[in-house]
Amino acid sequence: MDSRLLFLLILLPLTGGVFNACFGCRLPRALVALLAIGAIVGSFGVTLLCWPLAAEGTQVTLFTWLASAGLKADIGLFFDPLAATMTLMVTGVASLIHIYAAGYMEHEEDQARFFALLNLFVCAMLCIILADNLLLLFLGWEGVGVCSYGLIGFWYAKSENALAGRKAFIVTRIGDLFFTIALLWLFSLLGTVNIAEINQRATELDPVLLTPLVLLLLGGACGKSAQFPLMTWLPDAMAGPTPVSALIHAATMVTAGVYLLCRLFPLVSLSATGMAVIAAVGALTALYAASCAVAQREIKRVLAYSTMSQIGYMFLAVGVGSVAAAIDHLLVHAFFKALLFMGAGALIHLAGGENDIYKMGGLKQKSPLLFWLFLIGILCLAGAPLSGGFFSMAAIVFAAFTRGDGFLACLWGIGVFTAGLTSFYSFRLLYLVFFGSYRGKKTAHRLSPLLIWTLPPLALFGLFGGLFNLPHFYGGHELLGAWLGSTPAKELPLVTELGLLVLMSLFFVAGWLPAHLLYRNFEVEAESSWRRFLLQGWRFDALYEWLVLRPYRFTARFCFIAGDKGLIDGVVEGLGRTLLHWGGYMRQLATGQLSFYLQGFAWGLLLMVGWLLLKAVV
Amino acid sequence: MIVPFEHLLVLASLLFFLGLMAVLVRRNLIMILIGVEIMLNAAGLVLVGASALWQQVDGQVLVIFLMALTSAEVSISLAMVVYLNHRKQTVDVRAFNELRG
Amino acid sequence: MATYIFYILGIIAVVATAMAITRRNPVHSIIYLVNSFFALAMLFYLLGAPLVAAWEVIIYAGAIMVLFLFIIMMLELSPGERADRQGPGPLQWLPVLLLGAALIGCTLLLLKLDPAGSQNIPTWYASPRDFGYVLFHEYALAIEIVSFQLLFAAVGAFYVGRAGGRKEAGGIK
Repeated sequence: MDSRLLFLLILLPLTGGVFNACFGCRLPRALVALLAIGAIVGSFGVTLLCWPLAAEGTQVTLFTWLASAGLKADIGLFFDPLAATMTLMVTGVASLIHIYAAGYMEHEEDQARFFALLNLFVCAMLCIILADNLLLLFLGWEGVGVCSYGLIGFWYAKSENALAGRKAFIVTRIGDLFFTIALLWLFSLLGTVNIAEINQRATELDPVLLTPLVLLLLGGACGKSAQFPLMTWLPDAMAGPTPVSALIHAATMVTAGVYLLCRLFPLVSLSATGMAVIAAVGALTALYAASCAVAQREIKRVLAYSTMSQIGYMFLAVGVGSVAAAIDHLLVHAFFKALLFMGAGALIHLAGGENDIYKMGGLKQKSPLLFWLFLIGILCLAGAPLSGGFFSMAAIVFAAFTRGDGFLACLWGIGVFTAGLTSFYSFRLLYLVFFGSYRGKKTAHRLSPLLIWTLPPLALFGLFGGLFNLPHFYGGHELLGAWLGSTPAKELPLVTELGLLVLMSLFFVAGWLPAHLLYRNFEVEAESSWRRFLLQGWRFDALYEWLVLRPYRFTARFCFIAGDKGLIDGVVEGLGRTLLHWGGYMRQLATGQLSFYLQGFAWGLLLMVGWLLLKAVV
Repeated sequence: MIVPFEHLLVLASLLFFLGLMAVLVRRNLIMILIGVEIMLNAAGLVLVGASALWQQVDGQVLVIFLMALTSAEVSISLAMVVYLNHRKQTVDVRAFNELRG
Repeated sequence: MATYIFYILGIIAVVATAMAITRRNPVHSIIYLVNSFFALAMLFYLLGAPLVAAWEVIIYAGAIMVLFLFIIMMLELSPGERADRQGPGPLQWLPVLLLGAALIGCTLLLLKLDPAGSQNIPTWYASPRDFGYVLFHEYALAIEIVSFQLLFAAVGAFYVGRAGGRKEAGGIK
């Protein structure tokens, strides 16, 4: 099989996107959606077709993109198990979400723009995953940022949507800056941007430089993956259409940071401090986001915070050195989070466009099927024993535990506690939406069958996703870990392992019970300042406003008034005024009188003759 | 040469100066043009004198060109005078001060 | 003797020119100027340029001055003759008459001195033959350029004249 077939992976969505962008508005709506879906499904098919290439890692170069003064960047792909796994997940989830979107966006304007952006997003995401050098990866990295910006602000007529898009773009851009610096630094240190080469030669790097490098990479990953402290954009990004939230802000783009760290793991793992910071950032974000999710009222914001929290787990996994656990959780999370988001979209339709969970309730009667599917998602998210989420989360917590120093034990504690919180807010969501009586006033919209029937495959993968990487303890073989070629987890004594499992299950129940008691027959919730604090995400927005935006605006104002108006305008206008002033004097020379000008000639003649005379005499 | 060249130069300078005076002093466009003619003739006189001094024909040839140039200049200027007179019903240069800054 | 004639002609030229530039009436100026140009033509002859002298008379005193006169009359620039007076007084016509007489006197004197033009009065002179040879050999390109200049001048004058004639239509665009 020709390995250049791999380029079809990227080219298909690119073609679909560009075609829709150029001609989509003149095509019938159904055709636009069909084209977009076809491109992604085609890409999915190619992934399956190319699967055997991944086993020993296939490197393929289409052409040299840049070659100057030591910098050589190819349009080249690297298809190894890690990339293949991610590609399969992205194309698979994206296919389902595209189909779902066709139903969801049925009656929207600008369908062509939507699908073009969605396709381009997949193209850019695949670019990140498959790139064999950091420059191409960066291209995709920026590409997903742009598409995300365009899609969050898709309904740009409402200014808050446009603002949310802008916020996401700017905050991720801060992270991108760190990534750019890291990229350039790596190039200046190693003289190459090729990922495989960087990983190979990482040991040559000065250990002193490694930590800042890893921290810079972490900064980039934090921006894209909405980790502390660059996490404020993700809840606002829910202003976009639900399929976008499902695809970009739950399943794929936000995991790019995790993927980046995994991709450069040989480099990252060399810095112990860096690893510790990664783990700490992950654990803290997990706790922070879970606590915020507890108080959220909008269904999509609950899910957004839960996404943040779950990605925090993935960071924790990378930080404790278990790539397989991170990727496993990434995959499972992608499936069940896409499922939850798409289910949420359907629920919002069902509640007549309402997205406040306090105004939902009793939706179980309206659509039992949706309830069961959503329940699967919630179970996975909450980490119910034997669901996909349970295994992947447990793997992460185990990994943290096995490393066993005091610091990681602390993080392990946070992780376990957060698992309880996760269970609590998941069930709170479930009970508020499906149980009790309907509290809203709006009437339900009709549900397109596409909105329902794209969910079961995701539910299936979410529920059984844990089986891919079933630890030996359960009689599994850690298939994913073996496929990714990572070292198997350290064997723990049976008692410890059992104890940990029981502990996880206990925390799951500890989360579920209060939710069950509090929200099963929910009527109205009392306002409290504590709740408001959580609702506003620990007031981080206000903090950043105070810490960053105000000084920034002040500086900008200062620059505008003192620099631009005072200095530059002063110089320019002062020069103009001076010239004008002197010009006024000069102007009096131009009398318009012919004889005056002729006198000028005469005086000039006199001068010349006088000069000649002087020269003749002297 | 029947006279010293210096005398010829003095004569030409006198004529040139008179022409210049006409140009500077007179307000009538026609008179200014006449002043220009006088100055050109003074220049022609010097050229012919130089031709005689060095016994070369070139000076005279230049006078021919000078004459052609003068006729061209005069035809254009007089056409302009006619046009300007049409616009303002006067040939006084003081009336034409639209170029004042 | 020819030297004296030279100085006399020079004085005539200067006086005629001075009179020309001080006249209020442009027509009078032109008359004095014609005198001045005649004197210059004679000077050219004495300096050995007979052809240039002839052209001075034909082009300057003839064509150009007549053109001036024509324009002055067309635009009615000279102060009108008063009805109560018979014509110009002696103060106005006597000087020009004297100058003219002096010119004619000089001419006759020159003719008397050298009736056949063989007395070597211009010590050197360029025959029209030599003149034409140099003109069309060494200055052929200049001739072409000057002829183009004349053509452009004719076109320009024609255009300006037409634009002036159509003042109502907005003048020169």
